[in-house]
Amino acid sequence: MLAALWQGPLVRIVPVGMLLLALQRSIFTEITVAGVILQVVLALAAAAGAAGGSERGAVAGFVLGLMYDMLEGLPLGSTAVAFTLAGAVAGLLALIVAEPHWWLAMLFTGLGAAVGEIMVPVVRLFTGTTDPFEQRLTLIVPVVAAAAALLSPIFVPLARWCLGIKRSEWVAPPSESTP
Amino acid sequence: MALYTVGRRRVIIALLLTSVLLLTLDLRGNPVLDRVRDGFSRIMEPIESATDVVTTPASRAWRGITDYDDLERENEALQDQLDRLIGTQATARISVQEYQELRALLDLPSLAAIPTEVAQVVGASSNNLDQIIEINKGRSSGFKAGMPVVNQAGLIGKITSVTDNTAKVMLITDARYVVPVRVQAAPDSAVPVETSPSGRTDEELRDLVTTTQAPPSTLVTDVLDTGTVLPQNDPEAVPGVTTTTLPEDGAEAPVETDPAVVPSSDPASASSTTSTTTTTTIVTDLAPKEFGALEGRGRGLLPQIRFLQDNPSLATLQVGDLVVTAGGFDSLAPPDIPVGVVVNRADRSGPGGPLLDIQPYADVTRLNFVRVVKYTPLSEVEQ
Repeated sequence: MLAALWQGPLVRIVPVGMLLLALQRSIFTEITVAGVILQVVLALAAAAGAAGGSERGAVAGFVLGLMYDMLEGLPLGSTAVAFTLAGAVAGLLALIVAEPHWWLAMLFTGLGAAVGEIMVPVVRLFTGTTDPFEQRLTLIVPVVAAAAALLSPIFVPLARWCLGIKRSEWVAPPSESTP
Repeated sequence: MALYTVGRRRVIIALLLTSVLLLTLDLRGNPVLDRVRDGFSRIMEPIESATDVVTTPASRAWRGITDYDDLERENEALQDQLDRLIGTQATARISVQEYQELRALLDLPSLAAIPTEVAQVVGASSNNLDQIIEINKGRSSGFKAGMPVVNQAGLIGKITSVTDNTAKVMLITDARYVVPVRVQAAPDSAVPVETSPSGRTDEELRDLVTTTQAPPSTLVTDVLDTGTVLPQNDPEAVPGVTTTTLPEDGAEAPVETDPAVVPSSDPASASSTTSTTTTTTIVTDLAPKEFGALEGRGRGLLPQIRFLQDNPSLATLQVGDLVVTAGGFDSLAPPDIPVGVVVNRADRSGPGGPLLDIQPYADVTRLNFVRVVKYTPLSEVEQ
């Protein structure tokens, strides 16, 4: 599994993740919506799921989550769990349709981001934080999900490039040759 | 090919289990993981600096658009506040001196003796739950996890993790933050102490005795300038401390004193009176009202103090009371750092005692320079 992590997709997802992390910690802590910080790294994890399915989304979420934990000084793995699940949930889109419309990708990216944001306090609960479910969570989750959905037209193609996913090419079946 | 196979589920489960394993290792403390984290932070430093430079104009533009009205209102409010502070600055400086003298007389440890170091805030937590900031100094400056951090207004938090050149500071509004505190009477609730100079009637005394009132709701600290923290703005703010001004006719019998009476002969301490007066400071009761634990409650919510007991016969906890750190054997913060003021009291049924909402003196949403107090808890000193 570890060998699989270091293959192709990571070569792109790590630098892109680093850049997004830097943006997250600079401009996106300033630009807030109703006091809520938009989670662009989480949005990329969810977009990776929407673009590449549950497995790839989970891998991307895991890597991005670890990077997030390392830079934020959080317990290593706490955000990785949340982002892994975000990618996996967004990847459920692949169960519905192989080549989703942009609005479907938007919907599932938002759904995955919402799950990821909800999972953050859930993980905190297991790591010993008393009452991590703030009242503001009812505001935070929709705003983060909506932002991820709005960013999906940019992030889904970006995730597709990071993960090395090529669009399916529909070809006509070979014509039956006449005997 | 099935899109959602057992094998794919296994990958997801394996990643989740790996996360849990890392989480367990990190929570128990793992030097390897700490080094990895340090290394990643170093790698990210130049990227973050470059990103910061590039995004600053956009960030400023956004804030200019969204915060213009607020800034204008705030500027006016700050101007008013500045005018008031200038008026009380001289009094505050005298108060600092008197406070230090009192502490020296009572042989109490002073915050001025604790080394401190200024650091600049360089970042903030980028998630919506944590109330954590990042400062630009760390292990190389002698910072350790647990050290309290203050600004000019008072306590703002404590260091939770350090790297060589940075440190993370958990703010007092974070839901995980707890610090032992002491509640003291507000300046306005200080009751004048009866003094009995002989040969004076009560009416004459009322005419003669002037009780200096502290400036309303003004806390003046000089943490960044002098490294000194006041427990409150004035000696008069301490319950039971009253400045009595008497004519200097030489006919007065000495004021009856007990060991707690502290005469102040320092000219500076009498500067609030005329040159023909004698100032007598009587310390009758320096005992706090109550001790408790201040707990943060997250972004946008005021920290609260939960008390083990509330005994009205000893003291009534009320709005306007001052809150300072309590110190103690295990406390990470030394005593007497100003924390905030009680703005709401909620009574609970049962033995739980009241809940007090505390308005911190420090505005933790706008921090620039902070001072790290290099304080080692007594429990660690003795080890």
